[in-house]
Amino acid sequence: MGNPILIAENLSISFGGVTALDTINLSIGEGEILCLAGENGSGKSTFVKIVSGVYAPSAGSVAIDGSRVDSQGPRAAISAGVQVIYQDLSLFDHLSVAENIAMNRMMHDGSRLVKRSRMRAIAAEQLARVGVELPLDDRVSTLSVANKQLVAIARALSMDARILFMDEPTTALTTNEVKRLLKIVLELKSRGLSIVFISHKLDEVFAIADRIIIFRDGHKMGDFTAAELDEESLSFHMTGRTVSYARYHRQIDDETPLLQVQGLGRTGNYQDVSFDLRKGDILGLTGLLGAGRTELALSLFGLNTPDSGRILIGGQPVSIRSPLQAMEHGIALVPEDRKTQGLFGAQSIRNNVSSNVIDSLLGRSRLIDRKAEQSLAVATVHEMNVNNKNIDTLVQNLSGGNQQKVVIGKWIARHPTIFILDSPTVGIDIGSKQEIYDRIHTLAASGIGVIVISDEPEEIIANCNRVLVMHEGTVLDRFEEADLRAPEFKDRLATIISDPEAHVKHATAALTTINTGDQR
Amino acid sequence: MNSIARLVARDKNLSVLVVMTAVTLIVLITLLGGRFLSAGNLQSMSSQVSEFGFLALAMGLAMLTAGIDLSIVSAAVLSGIVGATVMSGQLVPVTASNSNTLMLVGILAALVTGMLCGLLNGLLIAKISIPPILATLGTMILFTGIGMVITNGQSVPIAISSYSALGAATVANIPIIFILMVAAFLVVGFMLRRTRFGRRIYLFGENDVALRFSGVRNDRVIILTYVTIGLLVGLAAVIMVSRVNSARVGFGESYLLQAILVVVLAGFNPYGGRGRVVSVALGLILLQSLQSAFTILQFNPYVKNLIWGSMLLLVMVVNYYVARWNPRGAAPATGPGTTTAIPPESAPSAAAETHRAADAVTTGGRAL
Amino acid sequence: MKTSPFRAVFNRPSTAMEKYLLAIIIGYIVIVALKNPLFFSVETLFDMLRSGSGVMILAIGVLIVLVSGGIDVSFTAIAVVSGYTSVKLMLALGIDNILFAFVVSIVVGCLLGAINALIIYRFNLPTLIVTLGTASAYHGLMATVLGTKSFPTAAMPQSLVNFGSTDLIVINSDTGRYGLTVFLPIVIAVLVLTWFILYRTMLGRQVFAVGSNEESASRLGINIFRTKLFVYAYSGALSGLMGIIYFSELKYVNPVSLVGTELMIIAAVVIGGAKLTGGEGTILGTILGIVVVQLFQSTLVFLGLGSSWNDLFFGAVLLISLGVMYYRQRIQDRKNLVFATA
Repeated sequence: MGNPILIAENLSISFGGVTALDTINLSIGEGEILCLAGENGSGKSTFVKIVSGVYAPSAGSVAIDGSRVDSQGPRAAISAGVQVIYQDLSLFDHLSVAENIAMNRMMHDGSRLVKRSRMRAIAAEQLARVGVELPLDDRVSTLSVANKQLVAIARALSMDARILFMDEPTTALTTNEVKRLLKIVLELKSRGLSIVFISHKLDEVFAIADRIIIFRDGHKMGDFTAAELDEESLSFHMTGRTVSYARYHRQIDDETPLLQVQGLGRTGNYQDVSFDLRKGDILGLTGLLGAGRTELALSLFGLNTPDSGRILIGGQPVSIRSPLQAMEHGIALVPEDRKTQGLFGAQSIRNNVSSNVIDSLLGRSRLIDRKAEQSLAVATVHEMNVNNKNIDTLVQNLSGGNQQKVVIGKWIARHPTIFILDSPTVGIDIGSKQEIYDRIHTLAASGIGVIVISDEPEEIIANCNRVLVMHEGTVLDRFEEADLRAPEFKDRLATIISDPEAHVKHATAALTTINTGDQR
Repeated sequence: MNSIARLVARDKNLSVLVVMTAVTLIVLITLLGGRFLSAGNLQSMSSQVSEFGFLALAMGLAMLTAGIDLSIVSAAVLSGIVGATVMSGQLVPVTASNSNTLMLVGILAALVTGMLCGLLNGLLIAKISIPPILATLGTMILFTGIGMVITNGQSVPIAISSYSALGAATVANIPIIFILMVAAFLVVGFMLRRTRFGRRIYLFGENDVALRFSGVRNDRVIILTYVTIGLLVGLAAVIMVSRVNSARVGFGESYLLQAILVVVLAGFNPYGGRGRVVSVALGLILLQSLQSAFTILQFNPYVKNLIWGSMLLLVMVVNYYVARWNPRGAAPATGPGTTTAIPPESAPSAAAETHRAADAVTTGGRAL
Repeated sequence: MKTSPFRAVFNRPSTAMEKYLLAIIIGYIVIVALKNPLFFSVETLFDMLRSGSGVMILAIGVLIVLVSGGIDVSFTAIAVVSGYTSVKLMLALGIDNILFAFVVSIVVGCLLGAINALIIYRFNLPTLIVTLGTASAYHGLMATVLGTKSFPTAAMPQSLVNFGSTDLIVINSDTGRYGLTVFLPIVIAVLVLTWFILYRTMLGRQVFAVGSNEESASRLGINIFRTKLFVYAYSGALSGLMGIIYFSELKYVNPVSLVGTELMIIAAVVIGGAKLTGGEGTILGTILGIVVVQLFQSTLVFLGLGSSWNDLFFGAVLLISLGVMYYRQRIQDRKNLVFATA
């Protein structure tokens, strides 16, 4: 760990009257691995955008090696050695791997002509540094997410980066891929590169971060070495309060299943999935991205018709071929991507809430009953405790948490019997998270069967009384309420989720021992 | 003062439009005085605007669903040709006894043709997923082609004299066709605000994926919308043909650009989901007044085109600045009637960062 | 990995639309040739090359704009305005030089294209509507300033007329005299130049990048304005070039008639594989698309169909091609659970 190479002084920025960053002072040292932690909306991404030249600050400065780089645009930052790998990876799908990796370098070298051989050489060299081989001429759109990330890293390296920012790099990766990534990062550190992880998921990063800087509400709350923090104190600094979620216990006595899934399969997505959902159940569907959870949920919602197995609702086999049919069977889905699938951004809260239930708001003359619509919206906004009570507010102006409340509220208006929530608290502040968890508990307690899809063990533990772990399309393991009560279960679940391969072996081994008559 | 500011902010574009229209009218009346306000001129204006009004309304509907319908004029021409052929005596000779029936059949034929054209557009867009601009580009050429084959480039004359009389008929000095147009505006406006279908049109234009996730059959919304457009187009055709007492390919070519101009002027968002019928009406008044003034001043068609083109650009630039303008003490903009024509730049509010790439521009593949 | 002959020549696999278009072209040629052997002759070829040259040049301009993620409908207006301005200037200054004609026209076209880019970039407006506006504005401006007098060949600058009737190879047959037009090498030059720019220069790759993902491009430090300025100015320059070609082969100069064909040309480029969403498109695809258009526009007469069938056929072919292209995409999207389209 060497001298500071990046120094931010009194950095502030506002957007339309809202202060996003307030007097930030921090420094990044050479060969340091830093973690920028904070809840969504805390300002971490905004900080990175200023450092990388995308935004110009309203006040303050950023200097690298003593010379200022703020307010000069991306090229200046890149020349100073700043590289950012955004969450969307910023790759060009229509261009080849080699071009994506080498383009930035060639541009900055001032080449006007495309030299194929040089591009391939650069690409090959950087991929070697990353330690992986990829087909150079393939279009980037054909790669897996993990490989795309490696291409993004290779591109960043080609620019003689001195500071590499990585925004939420581990979200879409399997354990092995995460391990590979962290190994690469340590490699890079040993060569003098500074790496800044931006994350609110810290399990992996804790292992390698030297320092952790915490943002909250646009302020820098603390600057700690990794040794000084643990998960609890970290959470405390990020959120400003000690958070522990109340767990859910199923109180209902009724054993009749609302929903039965038997041997359900969809080629390419998942196969042989079976489970029952009773009144008051909150079933956790967990596993990493790509395990087939969302695909399963979409099947239950009519957007991904399964090609094998059966679905029974209220004991009767049903075929769900469209969202309308699903809704007629009483199924509700709060989708994974709130912004593109769940909300009408430029419409008011009122119109969003009524969007699902317009039919029931039609008066005698088949016209929309404005008064009924209004009261529904007002009731929902109060029920769900949306901060902004003005139902004419456009939902795109609400915070993530409030937006999600509107989405959940609009589904509650349909009085569903089966409620599926796919990654419901992604990108949501801590306060709203708590409220949404409470809401989920209340829904279940009233007799609704709930399914929560999540890859955060804490969320699963707090909300579910049964858990299904999926991996590569099959059910890896299942747990009941008794298992969940065990104190070490959280860690156990975390391990299973992040390292499903090992668990498969373990499970297979267990099966073999059972078969041979030994007890576990 | 505060409540005016709030009213203005509720619909900035409409307010700007009102001001522009008022100013233009005042200028024109001052400059041209009697020539502009004469009964003759007013009558001819309202007559001219009638057929065009239907087309503008049709284009507005298309834009609400984040599409654009390039085929409205050629579909109108085709519908006119079909109707005129019925009324031309070429299929069934016209006699005193059957002329009224034939006229009715002709009108019906025109309307049905328009709706069939709309149906084709709707199917291409909803069932085959061809982007609206390309689908209607193809149908525009196709409809013209069908018209060409039917007429061989010749004009189709109408043999029923009472038909053109209908086109010129007035009630209390107001042309009937004008009343028809106003009625259409009222009906469509009402439909958009108060019916489930109308609401779905706005929601679809705003976010068709979310609409799908709400259980709505998107393809039905599209097809019904384009069939409605087809009906409006058919009505336009009926009027067009009655005014010139014939039909031929190539008529009304400049209407397409003007329709787009009116709709953009009215603050419709080309990416869908925003726009009000009343704004289209105002835009029509503005445009027709200018058009009429140009005729009085005897501008040649090229100067007119220059002005239309420049106006289109000017309007968009003005809309750009209007979108950024925030009158003091304004309440945030509202529901289906809101018209911020250009989607504001994505400056994220501190509390609105989301997990997945909030940075990515999400216009969902709609290319304009 | 097996290398198909296509891949050996073009250094890339052929796209689906290219294969499809090639099939249509070959199929059509075979059918028509069978019906009317006169079709399959050098004369027809020369005729088509002549009438298709201008359109091909315009199509390349359209391709570049589409690749960058925009749509431009003003190119025919730019072609006419540039050409007409050039001719008028020649007459006014008494300069009768074909090179002069080209230079003036290209410069004017370049400028008009640049104005397009400025408006689009500065106000971040939808490209379709902006260019719709500028098309009318440019045309109207020219008509107002220069007038719209159309004049016959006799009044046209001699160099222009000579150029238009220059042939590289002449064939004398029973039906008359046919020549391989001098336009052809110009078209080839444009194709080669554009290919070079798009695939061999960083600027060209940046055009692809901007069309593929404009946001990412700007984060990388790509100068979006410069890229778009180039795209529209280049397209404008090509339009200007075409303007002279267009006017040189007309029997009389009428500053109106070209406008109206722009949508047809855009359609041709789209079925050649360029997507409206940007980042995609090939020169070969564009060539094939234009060939299809030309075939259907000018050779239906060999099938015994009058010219009134042109639009019908072309409209049908266009819709079918678009249907094929987008339906495939729809199926793919459904399979991958991508919900972007209705």
